[in-house]
Amino acid sequence: MIETLLQTLLNGAASGGVYALVALGYTLVFSVLGVINFAQGALFSVGGYLTFLLMGGRIGVNGALPGWGLPGGLPFWLALLLAAAGSGLVGLLVERVAFAPLRRRNAEPLLALITSLGAGVVLVNLLQLLMGAEGYAFPHGSDALGGLPDALVIAGARIRTIQLLLLLISAAAVLALSLWLERSRGGRALRAVAEDATTAQLLGIHSEAMVRLAFFLSGALAGLGGGLIGVSVSLPGPYFGIGYGLKGLAVLVLGGLGSVPGAIAGGLLMGLAEALVPSEASGWRDALAFAILFVVLLLRPRGLLGRRTVEKV
Amino acid sequence: MSTPLLELQGLSVHYGSVQALAGIDLVVHPGELVTLLGSNGAGKSTTLRAISALVPAAAGQILWRGGSLAGVPAHRLLKLGIGHCPEGRRVLSRQSVADNLMLGAYLRRDTAAIHADLERCYGLFPRLAERRSQLAGALSGGEQQMLAIARALMGRPELLLLDEPSLGLAPKLVGEVMAALAQLNREGLTILLVEQNAQAALSIAARGVVLEAGRLTLAGPAADLLADPTLQAAYLGG
Ligand SMILES: Nc1ncnc2c1ncn2[C@@H]1O[C@H](COP(=O)(O)OP(=O)(O)OP(=O)(O)O)[C@@H](O)[C@H]1O
Ligand SMILES: [Mg+2]
Repeated sequence: MIETLLQTLLNGAASGGVYALVALGYTLVFSVLGVINFAQGALFSVGGYLTFLLMGGRIGVNGALPGWGLPGGLPFWLALLLAAAGSGLVGLLVERVAFAPLRRRNAEPLLALITSLGAGVVLVNLLQLLMGAEGYAFPHGSDALGGLPDALVIAGARIRTIQLLLLLISAAAVLALSLWLERSRGGRALRAVAEDATTAQLLGIHSEAMVRLAFFLSGALAGLGGGLIGVSVSLPGPYFGIGYGLKGLAVLVLGGLGSVPGAIAGGLLMGLAEALVPSEASGWRDALAFAILFVVLLLRPRGLLGRRTVEKV
Repeated sequence: MSTPLLELQGLSVHYGSVQALAGIDLVVHPGELVTLLGSNGAGKSTTLRAISALVPAAAGQILWRGGSLAGVPAHRLLKLGIGHCPEGRRVLSRQSVADNLMLGAYLRRDTAAIHADLERCYGLFPRLAERRSQLAGALSGGEQQMLAIARALMGRPELLLLDEPSLGLAPKLVGEVMAALAQLNREGLTILLVEQNAQAALSIAARGVVLEAGRLTLAGPAADLLADPTLQAAYLGG
């Protein structure tokens, strides 16, 4: 009983951590440009597949190069890190293709919703071309986790190691990012651009470079989430990131648009609430998630920790 | 005379079909405090924005130490020595007073000197020292103006472009700010001061120029301008 409860809470916190990663990705881009990057879910998929390939996974029979794989196979940690960086680079590409041309022409910012959605669809289709539509399972066992056992016994309860890692890694990423944003010179500069890009330039801050940095970090967060979910569950197909992208969007709204602590709180709330849905009723999980969103927005229209006014320049 | 620090030659700026500046010439020498006067919509802020590359020049040249600034993007100008304290304060309201000041020193790496300058700013504007950990958005208008000036100083510019620092300040505060600017100028800072408060600006400036509908109509030593009958009538309430 205790064991199930502990495992349930851990599962909830772990997926909550991943939701927070995705929501933070949205938050970064939203705070500097005031728009939502709808390619975020596709970047989540990209991260999952990159992690799979970097760990030595091979392309299946329906892919472009059946049986092909990267030589060797990196340990879980390294693959995850590189996949996050790779997704960050793809995020930069999305900025270049879907956002930069609109900014140069001073276009209506809402148009970026469509262009980024388009970029996301293209990415997912490219993944499907390369990897096929089939699902992929990661190799499980001690070698996949770099020598760690598959399950740990904590306080008499057996829990899956990967879930614990999921929670720890996403918590570390979220914490590092918030600290960087709050305390560092670069983080201050990014927040300055978010509030007033013109004034930031007068202070010597390269606003465009900061926008690109936000896209890189945002893509890396999504990719990290995709890799973590891939390792802990599986890759059910190129579209799997889209669902997480939507969930992250719900978390973003739930926590309060543009608020970093809000994204974290919203992610945890969402993850825990879903985990508490008994497995016989698992079909109701998404319905519950959006019901929570609905109720919270009725009570607090700006989300859990939203700012009173969203100031944009 | 020495090479001018800043020189505008026939500078014109358009906003769409509206001509905001119609060929103005202006020279600022090292160590000078020059004030740019004019009524609402005369083109004062536009002049500063053009120098800072925030709006493109339609015609004419902007020279810095004799070299053209054409093609230099806005974020590179502070590195060259041009600081700009923009109109309407523009403090970063969601960051603390201290963080605003640190952002002023964004390009600098000399940590010890940055902290010394921070203390100097707090000495110049003691009210900021008391509120250093408050959010800048919670400051009063006058305090925000002091913060904006102090933040520009933290970048250690050679030339400071100041856009209406007296706007919205109580007369006593206007005096304080002008005294602070005069002191900074005596310490070697070159200043191009945009003002509508001609009396206050001319009391500390060496020279002044008057802009009307995008054209310079009057220029001369501050003392002459203070005594000028047309200026008296238009801007000095005489
Ligand atoms: N972004 C803009 N788009 C269109 N026209 C503009 C813009 N900014 C300024 N103008 C016009 O250009 C002219 C000069 O404006 P500017 O802001 O330089 O005046 P100013 O001398 O600074 O006035 P004030 O003392 O009121 O600040 C005005 O006629 C103004 O309406
Ligand atoms: Mg103005």
